[in-house]
Amino acid sequence: MTMRLAAAELVESREILPGQWLQAYHAPTIASSSRAGQFIHVRTGDFSGMVLRRPFSVNTADVGTGIITIHFRVIGRGTEWFTRLRPSDEIDLLGPLGRPFEVDPRSRHLLLIAGGLGMAGVRMLADEAIRDGRQVTLLFGAASSREVYPSSLLPDEVEYVVATDDGSLGHHGFVTDLVPAYEAWADQAFACGPAGMLGALARQAEGRRGRLGVAKLGRKRGGGRTDPVGSPAARRKAFLQVSMEQNMGCAVGACLGCVVMSTTGVPQRVCREGPVFAAEELVWEGAWS
Amino acid sequence: MKAKRRVVTSAARPAGAKRQPLARRSRPTTAAPESRPGVEIRSAPASRPTDASDASRAAAGDLDREIDLSVDLGRGLVLPNPILVASGTFGYGVEYGDVVDIDRLGAICCKGTTLKPRIGNPTPRVTETPGGMLNSIGLQNPGVDAVIEKYARAWAGWKVPVIVNVAGESVRDYVEVTRRLEGVPGIAGIELNISCPNVGQGGLQFAIDAGAAAEVTAAVRRATDLPLLVKLSPNVADIRPIARAIADAGADALTAINTLSGIAVAPGRTKPLLGNIYGGLSGPAVKPVALRIVYEAAQVVTIPVVAIGGVTELADVLDFLAVGAIAVQVGTAIFADPTLPVRLVDELAAECRRVGVTSHLDLVGTALPKRAGTPSAKGVEYRP
Repeated sequence: MTMRLAAAELVESREILPGQWLQAYHAPTIASSSRAGQFIHVRTGDFSGMVLRRPFSVNTADVGTGIITIHFRVIGRGTEWFTRLRPSDEIDLLGPLGRPFEVDPRSRHLLLIAGGLGMAGVRMLADEAIRDGRQVTLLFGAASSREVYPSSLLPDEVEYVVATDDGSLGHHGFVTDLVPAYEAWADQAFACGPAGMLGALARQAEGRRGRLGVAKLGRKRGGGRTDPVGSPAARRKAFLQVSMEQNMGCAVGACLGCVVMSTTGVPQRVCREGPVFAAEELVWEGAWS
Repeated sequence: MKAKRRVVTSAARPAGAKRQPLARRSRPTTAAPESRPGVEIRSAPASRPTDASDASRAAAGDLDREIDLSVDLGRGLVLPNPILVASGTFGYGVEYGDVVDIDRLGAICCKGTTLKPRIGNPTPRVTETPGGMLNSIGLQNPGVDAVIEKYARAWAGWKVPVIVNVAGESVRDYVEVTRRLEGVPGIAGIELNISCPNVGQGGLQFAIDAGAAAEVTAAVRRATDLPLLVKLSPNVADIRPIARAIADAGADALTAINTLSGIAVAPGRTKPLLGNIYGGLSGPAVKPVALRIVYEAAQVVTIPVVAIGGVTELADVLDFLAVGAIAVQVGTAIFADPTLPVRLVDELAAECRRVGVTSHLDLVGTALPKRAGTPSAKGVEYRP
């Protein structure tokens, strides 16, 4: 994977939910080289006000048409700027960036867990998994029914289960409440969402093997050697992979702005070693104290 | 006649004369510059016609005129051009390799390097502000030994000189880091970071006091023959005594400025946004402050000043040259526009052709007070 600077033309832009936008750009090089979990870093205008690019997960990528989509909520001047773009406007993007989700070739059942805008982080993995003949269940949590991602925007093959904080649609409660029911079914789980949700999932995942009574048979491959933090192997072998979010500067690993703490005590760059990590690679509480 | 008080060895040639390899500075130096890859004396890339973009050459009246953008920062550190990338914005030079032709840069200042590894500050570490950004990385780095082991070999193979930004908590730290860098192939110079606003211990206190600044500069000077730049902090009442003290203590050049201390408020307004509370402001928002500090420092020292602060286009480079800088670092703007520094090299060469000079050094100091000589006792008055 080589990152590139590329110009991309806006093809379509629409507000799919109040304050949430889905935009399609024609960016063939990004579409053909991106994998689920990776992101792009997009420039916002000139230097007259905003000086930083904005990172977006590659929400979907269609190699045939060269179209990628991004999904975002308007939370500030940068995201607001994007909503004012009109079809045929060009943006300057850098990508694909970061490391993707790694699905174990033996995994048949994938559990995807998204909280709010975290949908954008796992959305493309649903496409990839279905293409590869895997079964996908997507658990989605939002504050209320008004913020629930439309099922029409998901592949038909996905089993879509919704939880809302106020109970206005689906399960009344957090999306993490739904996970235990799928713990035995899922071969691997992939999550993106608020830090609190990911931390709760990481704690749930820790005890899973014990609860299921799965014996670890045979000799460990590699003689029990642990894979380096951020390595594809470490992710591929993990039950839970999480896509992390941090305020970002350069997005190429130069500025060290977007780090999360790993269990080795060395901060990991979300833009370079991540954004996808094995949950057990990260410290979820008191990382900096 | 343009003011040429900021006399640099290479600028003192007769007008129109072809540039010759520069005379060695008279200061004693044991390490021959040729022993350090990346700092050998050579003609500037822009003097090769293939390096200028077609557009910039088309804009030039005299296509054959030789433009020499090289700058001498002292002790044999001659950069091929005056556009550097700033510490902390370009990692160790490898990160942007896919999209930037790094060998066309004037120099790379690497991330701040300390004696021991540092994990840095809690997140969030960066946030955008109007016309700028705040950062509080907190000097995260793997420590000087790991930096040398990981990157020096690659640096030694590059054409672009790499200047290692050195930070510490005590004079001994700075000296020890410097000692370990001394003689390592691939390291062209040292930029002393005595002005990092993001660490509790060390950093800033060396930059706000002339005595402390001179002490650490002198100690490092004694420890190394590497070209030594010292980076000034804008978070001071008057830069002039500090700049003078650092120059007198043996620095080869000054870098101005580091970031301005600032804070941002978190969404919900119950606390400051940055994990470290305080951050350093950079980007176009700080350019007027940087101009002022360069303007003041350039008038009280005879060593070169490298300007940094909010450069996003050629006009900014020319502004900094006008107030007395001989080279410019690009920092925050790289995040939005990674190829900007290389483009600025071409644009500066084209500008030299347009105005009819053979070196950008002829554009240096044009906005400084015209009367040459020592500034008056009152110096340059700054009225906020």
